[in-house]
Amino acid sequence: MNLFNKPTLSTDEREIIDSIAQNGVERKKGEERLFNRYAYFIKEAVYKYSVSEEDGFDLYSDTILSAIEKIANGSFQGRSSLKTWLYSIFHNKYVDLLRKKTTNKSSIHQTLSISDMLLQVSDQSKTIVQRLVDKTDWEILRDRLVQVGENCRQMLMLWADGYSDKDIAGLMEYKTSDVVKTSRLRCLEKLKLLYRKT
Amino acid sequence: MEENLEYIDAYFQRMLKPEEIRRFERRIAEDPAFAEEVAFYLSAKQSLKAEANQEKKERFRQLLAQQAPVINMDQNRTGKKAWLYRVAAAAAVIVVGFFAWSIFFSKSASPQQMADTYINKDLKTLGVKMSAELDSIQNGLRLYNNGQYDSSLVIFETISQREPGDYLPKYYAGIVYLQLGNYEKALQYFRQFENDTLYSNPSLFYQALTLLKRNLPGDKQKARELLQRVVDNDLGKKETAQEWLKQW
Repeated sequence: MNLFNKPTLSTDEREIIDSIAQNGVERKKGEERLFNRYAYFIKEAVYKYSVSEEDGFDLYSDTILSAIEKIANGSFQGRSSLKTWLYSIFHNKYVDLLRKKTTNKSSIHQTLSISDMLLQVSDQSKTIVQRLVDKTDWEILRDRLVQVGENCRQMLMLWADGYSDKDIAGLMEYKTSDVVKTSRLRCLEKLKLLYRKT
Repeated sequence: MEENLEYIDAYFQRMLKPEEIRRFERRIAEDPAFAEEVAFYLSAKQSLKAEANQEKKERFRQLLAQQAPVINMDQNRTGKKAWLYRVAAAAAVIVVGFFAWSIFFSKSASPQQMADTYINKDLKTLGVKMSAELDSIQNGLRLYNNGQYDSSLVIFETISQREPGDYLPKYYAGIVYLQLGNYEKALQYFRQFENDTLYSNPSLFYQALTLLKRNLPGDKQKARELLQRVVDNDLGKKETAQEWLKQW
């Protein structure tokens, strides 16, 4: 018997992963199933790590958000059970929280890090872009997102969340992905003009 | 200006060809207004992502409020779990004992075990040059050594796309895929430099290693043939291949 070939995911776990990876209407349901399934981690964090209920919730929801992203972009390989994998992310988040508390680091830099997106850019250009990004006024940008209009905001948020133009067309009832792409870029341009007006 | 955003969008969605990628990156360095556009695109996307996550967190909060009794029920189970942990610990001792016995008393390691040992020992960390020089390959290796396989993969795959004639990014991308258990992609990358003229081409050895890990019907035999070719043709990792063939 080869122990290494044994499937590590249960049918239920596989279903959750498949629905999140689909990136369409099923994704939201999958995300909620995933959150509900291991929500007892919050209580465990309160008892085991002596964190507040609120910190426990933050740790767990950040864990789920990061897991969703990895499942949606295909980087979760299913080499361990979903629970084991989630627990390792959860534990790492707890270590981050401790570090943040001891160094008193502001969380905004963590949330708004663009380092992952810059990975594909060559080094010289990366430095230039990173310097410009560092000058971004995040508060104003956030404020302008509201002014861009609800439809644009929804569409841009889905795009930033990893949905393809085709998925967005299905979710927002647009005729084709090309129409979504044109509208999305127009919305982005609108946001840029609003931001630069400041 | 909307065309610029479309161009930037195409770059980040990896839709540009290698020559276009180089031109895009050159333009960032040479055209400050364009660089500003790229920075805006990234800042906007990140800000939107943070908003999307915030909305999801609110949704999660509502879900949690709905299922509070379920969580308490789970918590009540923790007391009952205590003795289960003890039983599990005892079982773990027996399993560890069994494996230790297998290691000490079994005749020799199977090809799969040799592959596992090689991956766990020799590929756990990869050599990084000690230099302050900005080099993406070195950055990729640092991420790999930190266990950030997904991030290192983005670097190796992007360089491989940008520099199709260079075997190194393909070699490293193959190793990352091997670590991630995606054997098809690992093989794809290792095969890409099989015919490159290198002083000591390790392609066949790594293909054999991947086949041993994949372990589909026929893989073991194919791996053995590849290792034999490594020895016969004096290719990269010849000594290890010889060692493995002796123990086969």
